[in-house]
Amino acid sequence: MVLEREILPYMQWLLQGADDSWGTLPHFLLVVLGCGLLALGVGYCISAARHGFLHGGDNVYRVVAQGFRELSEISPRRVWALARLAIKEAWQRRVVVALVVFGIILLFAAWFLKTDNQDPAKLYISFVLTAATYLILGISLLLGAFSLPHDFKTKTIYTIVTKPVRSGELILGRILGFSIVGTLLLLVMAVCSYVFVHRSLSHTHRVETGLKHVSNASQEVIGYDGNTSKNAYHRHEVQLDIDKHGAALSNFGHVHAIEPRGDAPQVYPAEGYMRARVPKWGKLRFLDRKGLLKERGISVGSEWSYRSFIDGNSQAAAIWTFNNVSAIATADDPATEIVEDALPFGLIVRVFRTHKGVIDQPISGTIQVRNPETGLRSDAISFFAVDAKVDERTIPRKLTTPDGTEHDLYKDFVSSNGQLEIWVQCLERGQYFGFAKADCYLSLPDGSPGVNFSKVCLSIWVQMVIVISIGVASSAFLSGAVAMLFTVVFILLGFFRDFFVGVARDTQHGGGPVESLVRLVRQDNVMIELDPGPGTSLIEGIDFVLQKFMLSVAQVLPDFSAFSTVDFAASGFDIPANRVWQDLTTCLAYVVGLAVIGYFLLRTREVAK
Amino acid sequence: MSEETVIQTRALSKVYRDFWGRQKVRALKALDLEVHRGEIFGLLGPNGSGKTTTIKLILGLLFPSAGEAVVLGKAATDVGKNERIGYLPEESYLYRFLNAEETLDFYGRLFDMTPETRQERVDTLIKQVGLDKARKRQLQEYSKGMTRRIGLAQALVNNPDLILLDEPTSGLDPIGTREMKDMILRLREEGKTIVMCSHLLADVQDVCDRIAILHQGELKELGRVDQLLTVEDITQIRARGLSEECKNEVSQVIARHSGELLEMANPTTTLEELFLGIVRDSEARPGRRAKVTAPVSNPDNKK
Ligand SMILES: Nc1ncnc2c1ncn2[C@@H]1O[C@H](COP(=O)(O)OP(=O)(O)O)[C@@H](O)[C@H]1O
Ligand SMILES: [Mg+2]
Repeated sequence: MVLEREILPYMQWLLQGADDSWGTLPHFLLVVLGCGLLALGVGYCISAARHGFLHGGDNVYRVVAQGFRELSEISPRRVWALARLAIKEAWQRRVVVALVVFGIILLFAAWFLKTDNQDPAKLYISFVLTAATYLILGISLLLGAFSLPHDFKTKTIYTIVTKPVRSGELILGRILGFSIVGTLLLLVMAVCSYVFVHRSLSHTHRVETGLKHVSNASQEVIGYDGNTSKNAYHRHEVQLDIDKHGAALSNFGHVHAIEPRGDAPQVYPAEGYMRARVPKWGKLRFLDRKGLLKERGISVGSEWSYRSFIDGNSQAAAIWTFNNVSAIATADDPATEIVEDALPFGLIVRVFRTHKGVIDQPISGTIQVRNPETGLRSDAISFFAVDAKVDERTIPRKLTTPDGTEHDLYKDFVSSNGQLEIWVQCLERGQYFGFAKADCYLSLPDGSPGVNFSKVCLSIWVQMVIVISIGVASSAFLSGAVAMLFTVVFILLGFFRDFFVGVARDTQHGGGPVESLVRLVRQDNVMIELDPGPGTSLIEGIDFVLQKFMLSVAQVLPDFSAFSTVDFAASGFDIPANRVWQDLTTCLAYVVGLAVIGYFLLRTREVAK
Repeated sequence: MSEETVIQTRALSKVYRDFWGRQKVRALKALDLEVHRGEIFGLLGPNGSGKTTTIKLILGLLFPSAGEAVVLGKAATDVGKNERIGYLPEESYLYRFLNAEETLDFYGRLFDMTPETRQERVDTLIKQVGLDKARKRQLQEYSKGMTRRIGLAQALVNNPDLILLDEPTSGLDPIGTREMKDMILRLREEGKTIVMCSHLLADVQDVCDRIAILHQGELKELGRVDQLLTVEDITQIRARGLSEECKNEVSQVIARHSGELLEMANPTTTLEELFLGIVRDSEARPGRRAKVTAPVSNPDNKK
């Protein structure tokens, strides 16, 4: 599970934003102001060129004033009538073909995807949901971008706009209608995906004969050990009690319950391959090899700077500080009992080896807890790092310290303001552990995987509505194909927004757009400065202007890569409610903004041209 | 603008431009018109003379290059005026995948009509235009005549005060044409104002109270149909039961007021002749208002 951007609490996200950014609402208002002024300016210039300075100003004023008046005249009945028409139109255009395509994709998936992978659920979920996302976005694009231009081409728009239909209703009706169509398609796809993933992953085993007896100190048989048969590319170890109740231990991301049936133990269907872990994240700091506090660990040369690393067999450590730990322990839910016993947490380690180490043996590390207030530190609990997997462990309730005394986890290691530190270190010389903030978390009780799956669909829905809105708004002014192209460019830039902003801010290697083009043509090294001279100054001058322009465009680009929550569900993490609300709010902002833009584009357009 | 004026255009002009703003066609040149309440006003002109352009400007589908149009007391670009307007475009610009009922229901919704009024209105209109049997068929299966009818029904959905009909009879057979004309006359009786444009002279002559004749975007003639068609300097006498002598001495007979004088009036020419005369004159002297007096026609040609 990769969490590149911190998920802020909703109100903070809305009003304040993170340290280096604005709150969403101020940002939105600023964009509205900017777009409004720009539109007024452009509108006035065009109008003045056509009708003269005074008359032009008059025209602009009338259009704006009428816009505000028409806002109050929007009739739900008309919007709904237009939405119904859009639905019928979509049906005419045979959108259901998309479902057939999705069916075929699932068939191929059933054919090609294998369950021989350590985490088959991840593969299956991310595949079907990603396929559904692209398919839905594609349909939204076609529906949104071609509808209004088609009306213009067949001139059916004449009979519409000569009725008391406000331009805004034309836009809203379409967005609503196509969103309904998209929602239905998405629902069908979601249900199919869910069933498909479940059916593909469900399997069972037999318990192999030849169970070994397990005895206690006084030689009484207390249970059995053994293996299951190999099904779906894996087998499990089996632990049974004397009555042959028990479990097939976790492997390939799931477990099976085992109950006796007649004489033989029977393995029940797989459980837990779809999870919705609810993590409670903390703050991450590092100690370097000399034991000095650092913001980040060291780099091992990976381009992706998400994780940073600690050296093995040194003082280097990754330290997470968790707040309100006592609150978890006393949380009022059925799982409290377990929590009070021990503190469950998850750890994801990226292992970076500089030598092979002991063949066949994973790299070992230690975990300690520490009270940030008193400095009390527990004995090291050693563990073997499983590379890039969620390793779910517990911190026992009773912990010893180096002086040999026993302490209580909640009483002695959690500070008076509820803070707890978890320290992770790597034991082996020349080997490294890599961590990011989200790689260690305290586990709250799991959410429902089904609900989580729906949350992913909701985020697909949000993307869909945004794409429809962009398509409809741009097609109020552009012809179908051009509107589609525009929307595609918008989406692509949205997907690569970070890179786009990087180029605009000059943080990408190789300079601005023109400079990189020159480098590309001349096959220059991106790290070497261009030779100073008038040519370079010119290039930098143009780039400066372009970059300012790109920065302004970036202000309105939807961050499509960040909208996708497929990764959460695929790695078995619950999508935080804050994220869901934030996405919905963003969606609303786009719909409102684009509807207004679409309104003015349509309003100022000569229908019968 | 008085209460009685429904449409007023002042120096209304339209220049079609291409994408780069270059002038393509001057479709309408400084048109001044007034249409009064309760009349049937005809826009007459050959193809491409700017009739449709005028109607689109009145509806706000086009923006004028100069001048302005005021419709029902509102600017042509104000959507509010559409509440009381019905428009039948020159071709059927309806959704072909809807059936007659759905079509009318849809347009009824656009007028924010309640479900009850809508249903009632749809029902009456479908019966009125004679599509009762085809009400459940999709418009793509309709013949030209049926399409025209559903188009008219669509224009009447809101029971409008002002109806704009663009070539209402084009493509209709003689019976359909007759029905359409009767419908138009009936609408006038209901007190509605109708503006229709056509190049079919007979239709205009039959129904219109006043006409404007356009040619190449210029207004050539404007007036009441009966007046326009009157030939003033000729007196026509139609008589019956006169003997041969009587006929020979017709002028004396008139002077002495003997014999049965059935009719003594100014003869009329046909609209067709007036129209052709104007077009010929306009081509000879472009840019000026027509100065044609109606030619003498052979009275025998008249019905
Ligand atoms: N959208 C348009 N673009 C360019 N020229 C047009 C357009 N519509 C009409 N015209 C031109 O304007 C003139 C008037 O057309 P129109 O009003 O449709 O004539 P009518 O309805 O009297 O037959 C014609 O010369 C026509 O070619
Ligand atoms: Mg025409």
